[in-house]
Amino acid sequence: MADLEITDLHVRTEEREILRGVNLEISRGEIHALMGPNGSGKSTLANTLLGHPSYEITEGSITFKGEDITEAEPHERAKAGLFLAFQYPVSIPGVSVANFLRMAINAKREEPIQVKEFRNQLQHAIELLDVDRAFTSRHLNDGFSGGEKKRAEILQMAMLAPDIAILDETDSGLDIDALRTVAEGVQRLHDEQGLGALIITHYQRILHYVKPQFVHILMDGRIVLEGGVELVERLEREGYDQIRQEVGASAAAAVATGNSSPPTHV
Amino acid sequence: MSEPGETSTAAVATNGAAPIKVKAGRHREASLYHALAGAGAGDGRTLAQLRDAARLAYETSELPVWRRSGFWTTSLQGLDLGALEAPARSEGAGEQQPGGVPDVVARTLPERPRAGRLVQSGDEIVHLELDQALSERGVVLCSLEDAFRDHGELVNAWYSKRLAIDGNKLEAANAAFWRGGAFLHVPAGVVVEDPFEIVYAIERPGVAQYGRTLVLGGPTSEFRVHEYDLAEDFEGYPEGHRQALHAGAFELYLQDGARCRLAQFQDWGRGEVFDVSTRFVGVGRDAYCHWLPALLGGHLVRQHLELAVSGSGGEMAFRGLFFTEEHEHLDVFAVDLHETGPSGGDVHWRGTATGESRSSFEGLIQIDPGAQKTHTYLQIHSMMLSPKARIDTIPSVLVSADDVSASHGGTVGELDETAIYYMQTRGLDRPTAVRVIVEGFFEPLVAELKDEALEELVRGRVARKLAAARQDIEAYAISR
Repeated sequence: MADLEITDLHVRTEEREILRGVNLEISRGEIHALMGPNGSGKSTLANTLLGHPSYEITEGSITFKGEDITEAEPHERAKAGLFLAFQYPVSIPGVSVANFLRMAINAKREEPIQVKEFRNQLQHAIELLDVDRAFTSRHLNDGFSGGEKKRAEILQMAMLAPDIAILDETDSGLDIDALRTVAEGVQRLHDEQGLGALIITHYQRILHYVKPQFVHILMDGRIVLEGGVELVERLEREGYDQIRQEVGASAAAAVATGNSSPPTHV
Repeated sequence: MSEPGETSTAAVATNGAAPIKVKAGRHREASLYHALAGAGAGDGRTLAQLRDAARLAYETSELPVWRRSGFWTTSLQGLDLGALEAPARSEGAGEQQPGGVPDVVARTLPERPRAGRLVQSGDEIVHLELDQALSERGVVLCSLEDAFRDHGELVNAWYSKRLAIDGNKLEAANAAFWRGGAFLHVPAGVVVEDPFEIVYAIERPGVAQYGRTLVLGGPTSEFRVHEYDLAEDFEGYPEGHRQALHAGAFELYLQDGARCRLAQFQDWGRGEVFDVSTRFVGVGRDAYCHWLPALLGGHLVRQHLELAVSGSGGEMAFRGLFFTEEHEHLDVFAVDLHETGPSGGDVHWRGTATGESRSSFEGLIQIDPGAQKTHTYLQIHSMMLSPKARIDTIPSVLVSADDVSASHGGTVGELDETAIYYMQTRGLDRPTAVRVIVEGFFEPLVAELKDEALEELVRGRVARKLAAARQDIEAYAISR
């Protein structure tokens, strides 16, 4: 059984159905990429997995480490070991990065973390992500550049050591250096801590630095195509439109025969 | 046309940008609010003469009302002044237990190094201490009564110099009836790192406390003053017998080149404490004052706070934070007064409200004729935490010089649901996330206290108030 199991997930927001039966399994130590064009439902899936209050699950379930978390509060999911790196990280004025990290770590623990242990962990994460020490005394995301915000997301991920991390378009708006730092950070957390990751992206860029074992393509609220890293290359060659035409044909055929449409495997 | 009050609705405060609608032909009400502007009583009269004049004013005046039609009315009609203890020291002192430091003071004040401490409970000084080394260098900390006896020349020159004694009934009552009081003098050139603590405490209902403080900073002196205004919660007293009054008068004068950090921690507890006070800070030539009142509780609180730059080259930073809850009513009139230039001002206040409380803040920048080359800025930020609470903020600017810059701005915010969700995804539960946001909202000011013990006290009190308002805040989130 996979650590994170998403079964036939249907999600609505503002009276519109965005996800229309998503099935996905992710375990620790696995790197998955979820790709799809704009509006396909990628961010909806990411936020639904963390329990965003604006998204209503109308069908299906989410199970994490054997527990049904379909109805769980966001902070319960986080404490259980899920993490979301935001596409647009929110600024928290008046709260330093270090203080916020300490609060978040303590939220997962019975006893507050020792000062020395915290400092060591922070130092390790700072080196991993190539950020300045002064960075951690700035207010979280307040006045941060796009690149700094994304680094701060990965810094939080490194400190909170989740089982499964969802990275929602973490690559968008990053220059190549920032992108490499972020990607290498994810790869190292995978290699060192056995992190499982779902990298959500529109582009292929980040996947040149983090190698996914599994690639899923989301279109119109469904995963329409699944495969290995070769799918990324194919997408690079052919683009979403070509794939849409192809799977559109098979989906239509499936509807005609009365089957729901399973993703095409390549 | 209806009353101009329509510019302000419940749970939506005005900000600096909103024009204030005024009926044609009517004076704008800002003219009701005069900065003290030299209206002081200290004109060579003796203390006895001033007390007599004040008593007359007390006997002939009514309880004051402060009104900003359409915005707020601060009325003392709920105050049963007659039922409060006669403003004269009780006779038969032998029967009374000698006053100790009230529990609320022992509970609240942080353990930390200090330069001195004076505690007045009711109308009695119950604790006085001053660092011996400072005493030897000429620093004086004592009751104001003793100061008139022992340092008459100095005190007479400054007492009530800029405070009126007959502006309203309670101001007059203070000037006529004050007992005890606090006097601090830091002589020229003396630099003191640790704070002087001045405490006014009310232990039980039925008390009218007339607090009176005079602080003098000699040329180039540097020091900190922390004032605490505290009351017990009056638990166990029946409804209708839980009132007390603090009518305070505070004046601080900084002479040439003096520097002072003045902080006030005010929390009158859960009893029915009325606080009507006037505070004046005068900044002399090249002097500097950083003043931060933290107004964190009181049944009805009306504060006239005035920071005046009276000497050229004077600078001030006027900060403040407030947090009202339940049915509390707060009315702050904060004045940033420039009497001469060049001078600098920077006013920055932040406030929030829960329950059905009301917070009203008017900030006035006044630049007098001749105060050229003055640069000042006033900002006020408020955050709504309850659908039934109300915050109004009005900035006013009266400029009578032509080579100055004076501006103001403000924001009105609510809890940011996106930020709450963001923090939840990091494992913080919703109440904790709300606390983080509100603490972060106040943090820019709290951090300016630059005093860890006091910062922790303010943060802790804010957290406690948020915890008490938890359901309220939830209801607000759902209603949106």
